[in-house]
Amino acid sequence: MATVRFQNLRKSYGDTHVLTGIDLVMEEGEYVVLVGPSGCGKSTMLRCIAGLEDISSGDLFIGDRRVNDVAPKDRNVAMVFQSYALYPHMTVRENMAFALKVAKRSAEEIRVAVDEAARMLDLGHLLDRRPSQLSGGQRQRVAMGRAIVRRPDVFLFDEPLSNLDASLRTHMRVELMTLHKQLGTTMVHVTHDQVEALTLADRLVVLNKGVIQQVGSPRELFDRPINTFVATFIGSPSMNLLPATGHGATSTVDGVEGTLDVPSDGAFTLGIRPTDFTVGEGPLEADLIVVESLGSEAMLHMDLGEHRIVARVDEPQSFQSGDKVRLRPNKVHRFSAATGERLP
Amino acid sequence: MSAARVSLLRALLVLAALLPLPWRQAIAAQVDEIVLWHAYQGREEAGLEAAARTWTEQSGVRVKLVAIPFGAFASKVETAIPRGNGPDLFIAAHDSIGKWSAMGVVEPTPQLSADGLRPELMEAVRWGDQRWGLPLAYKSLVLLYDPTVIQTPPTTTDALIAEAHKYTGGGRYGLAYQASETYYHAPWAHAFGATPFDAEGRLVPLDSDAHVKAYAFTARIARDEGIVPQQPTYESVQRLYNEGNAVFVIAGPWFVSDVDRPIAAAPLPWVSDAGAPARPFLTVDVAYVAGQAQHPDEASAFTTWLAGPEGARIRQEQGGQAVSSALVPTDDPLLKTLEVQSKTALLMPMNPGLQGLWESEAKALRRVMRGAATPSQAAHEAALYWEVVSRPSPPAVSPWPYVVVMVAVLLGALGWLLAPLRDPDFRAKLRRHAWDYVWIGPATVAMVLLVLTPFVVGAGVAFFAHDQGEFTFIGLRHFTDILFARDWPLSSPLSFFYTLGVTLLWTVTNLIVHVGLGIALALILREPWIRMRAGWRAALILPWAVPNYITALIWRSMFHVQDGAINALITLVSGAKDPVQIDWFGSFVTSFGANLITNGWLGFPFMMVVTLGALQSIPRDLEEAAEVDGASWAFRFRHVVWPLLKPALLPAVILGSVWTFNAFNIIYLVSAGEPDGTTEILISEAYRWAFTRGNRYGYAAAYALIIFGVLLAYSRAANRLVGRKVL
Repeated sequence: MATVRFQNLRKSYGDTHVLTGIDLVMEEGEYVVLVGPSGCGKSTMLRCIAGLEDISSGDLFIGDRRVNDVAPKDRNVAMVFQSYALYPHMTVRENMAFALKVAKRSAEEIRVAVDEAARMLDLGHLLDRRPSQLSGGQRQRVAMGRAIVRRPDVFLFDEPLSNLDASLRTHMRVELMTLHKQLGTTMVHVTHDQVEALTLADRLVVLNKGVIQQVGSPRELFDRPINTFVATFIGSPSMNLLPATGHGATSTVDGVEGTLDVPSDGAFTLGIRPTDFTVGEGPLEADLIVVESLGSEAMLHMDLGEHRIVARVDEPQSFQSGDKVRLRPNKVHRFSAATGERLP
Repeated sequence: MSAARVSLLRALLVLAALLPLPWRQAIAAQVDEIVLWHAYQGREEAGLEAAARTWTEQSGVRVKLVAIPFGAFASKVETAIPRGNGPDLFIAAHDSIGKWSAMGVVEPTPQLSADGLRPELMEAVRWGDQRWGLPLAYKSLVLLYDPTVIQTPPTTTDALIAEAHKYTGGGRYGLAYQASETYYHAPWAHAFGATPFDAEGRLVPLDSDAHVKAYAFTARIARDEGIVPQQPTYESVQRLYNEGNAVFVIAGPWFVSDVDRPIAAAPLPWVSDAGAPARPFLTVDVAYVAGQAQHPDEASAFTTWLAGPEGARIRQEQGGQAVSSALVPTDDPLLKTLEVQSKTALLMPMNPGLQGLWESEAKALRRVMRGAATPSQAAHEAALYWEVVSRPSPPAVSPWPYVVVMVAVLLGALGWLLAPLRDPDFRAKLRRHAWDYVWIGPATVAMVLLVLTPFVVGAGVAFFAHDQGEFTFIGLRHFTDILFARDWPLSSPLSFFYTLGVTLLWTVTNLIVHVGLGIALALILREPWIRMRAGWRAALILPWAVPNYITALIWRSMFHVQDGAINALITLVSGAKDPVQIDWFGSFVTSFGANLITNGWLGFPFMMVVTLGALQSIPRDLEEAAEVDGASWAFRFRHVVWPLLKPALLPAVILGSVWTFNAFNIIYLVSAGEPDGTTEILISEAYRWAFTRGNRYGYAAAYALIIFGVLLAYSRAANRLVGRKVL
């Protein structure tokens, strides 16, 4: 078990800067999820920890050791790849034993460790198969098993669930949480799926264009997004962002009738989550375009003036496209119109 | 005239115009062109052209001259003329008359007038009871020297050696000639009495005292005295002379036109040790009337004129030839020297089947020159060798048992093929696919014609012994001779099993080099820090793109003992004071190494390309996973990369091993089997039996068939091992 500490870490390929000035501490035993859109640098961060990428400048510590120039094999980290990277010519048992064989452990020690990991992941009956004879979920578990047997200081997960179907993904999320509880090791998990991020993380790191946007618990990020990027990236469907103008104690949405009880001054960006509307009454009136039914609930896609907004309702049957719908925001976020930063 | 008649006449005219050419000529009864093939170049060609022009003016018959490269000439006439595609006449040396007269390449010409031709040169066209063509000119080796240095050429070898010592040293040589070639050894050998035939026309034994003395003499003059450069080629002698670094040269008149400095000629010196004059071989250029000539009369007329005084004068004056006509005296010093030399020269024998004799002597000469054997040992080995290669064919055996067995085998095979026809399902399937068989028909015909037929013919030849154009059925005799090593002990380079051992060693070492280098380079090329990857890749594939015989010839010259780049490089790197002179082809290990380096150079790109392709199919993730799991580079290669490369590489390795097993070009062109045939592989050995040891085609075919069997067994075994995942 160990902390992972980034100090003003930079990574660039020629003139392309992938990571710019990363400062971050991952505590011992913490489950940290790196999340962000494609190309934001989250995988690069993970590969820097693994040692698969060189660090252009700054420092990286695992525990108390500066590891900038330490080879991957000497870092005692375990990584689960998006493709699982199972060795196709080896059985499940050989795959899981690989790292121990490298470390020249005794055959008995290896057998015990593999059996233990196989029991935890329910792989006992698959140990003599080859990867090509396994389903996607089983391969995923073997990849996990290969990481577990090593008892590493840090686990690194690179989009481990993205090749699974939806139900399996939910199942594996639970397994990952269980595993984290059992092992208590520092785990770093990269994903672009914000649902996965919110469910798993002790702490979330939102990245965009190589810069950390916000670090915090899922609740913090959901309730108090630090800027419009985090606000729209976390939560599904995304937060509605509307240009608005404040008149002291009240505000109006630009180009829309109706006054809101939001104290503000001048132009700002108004953020409302789709779940934070009261539908059926209120100061705003929108044209219902589409009802997206999700079974027990529905998403109403509406035009508010020139702005497309989404609101969640519990009784979808009472709405039809073409209806005029009245709305009241229950909770709002305010962001600077110029910088997108959260206003106090 | 009615319109119908006019159109009939027109039709007849058109038909007449369409008549085939020979037919029209017959109608005209007028020959206006004859075709002559020759291999002359430069001044000799110009002389021949001038003579042909004069003849055309006089006779009205045009002579179409076709120049054919010297190296291809013999095989060209031997294949084209018997099939009726040859010229009316051709000019070539006299020493193939024995062979060509038997093959019908040349026509006997008793009717041609020999008036005015030197009678001793007429001997060059007499074979059997017949005369074949007319002698035009003659050539022999003479002593050439630099007149700016030497005023009076030496007349004895002792004087020549003493004189040559004065000019040797510092990259300069007193005497330069191709000492290791039998043709250049011959003048000394004949002086000692080591002629091919004695006065009664009997073969002189190759281990005679005369031969021993002759080898010793050549070893002395060309090696021990230190006045002659090592392993000289015609080109290197020419270069030495042009640079002013050789004072005396032993060469023929052709050498004179290839140098650009003053040069003078003298007869070869008296051989002091033998107490006799040096006697070079005399070769005579003969104008032959070709077999199946279309215009033999016109060809004969031109031949007589060309050999006669008028043609001779033109060839002498414009072509610089030493002509056979006694009627055109000359005051050209070179031609006068040749005339003097021709009095002592020995006419090159015309007997067919002497190839093996030359090879036996050449082997002995090379061994002596290399210091690998004493003259008497070498002569003794040469005699043994000649005894085997010149041995008469094995006795004929009755073909009937073989025919019975073959028919039985064929019937069995046919039955096995046709047996499924009794199954109605199979017949229905055949009918369903009837058209498919039609579609593959053309390819099948091509395969049968181009692959199966030559194979069957080649296999058939193995059961016959060939001697001077006659094939005798001898059954399995060749196979038993080869496989039971009848003629040589197993350890002799001439035994099948020795050569098989060398071939296996050759194949295995090459594969190790090819696969090792190929994988190493492919792995390096994949490294992320490599700049200009595409450029490197292209450069590394280049050895593969160059035709391999060119590469082989370049490497051979780089391994030359005195002028080679390799020895120069070793000298440079080692910082030795004197130039390092490793005789690469002088011992088995270095010679084999030279072959291996050459073929390694040629073969690694293929394995590299295959490896690059295979590496691309291995996800980078796998190696990264192993890296994170703590595996070192070697462990990752051994346990992750190699197991995944293996399936893609194995077919390439099997293919590569078959190519290498049969890498004729490399062996033939680089080491040429040196020293003493020890680096020969099976396929090049088969070639030697067919083409340099008395045309023993049957023996060579048996060799080839055994090679085929070995490779067939190998590929079957390899496939089974791959199929069972043993490999």
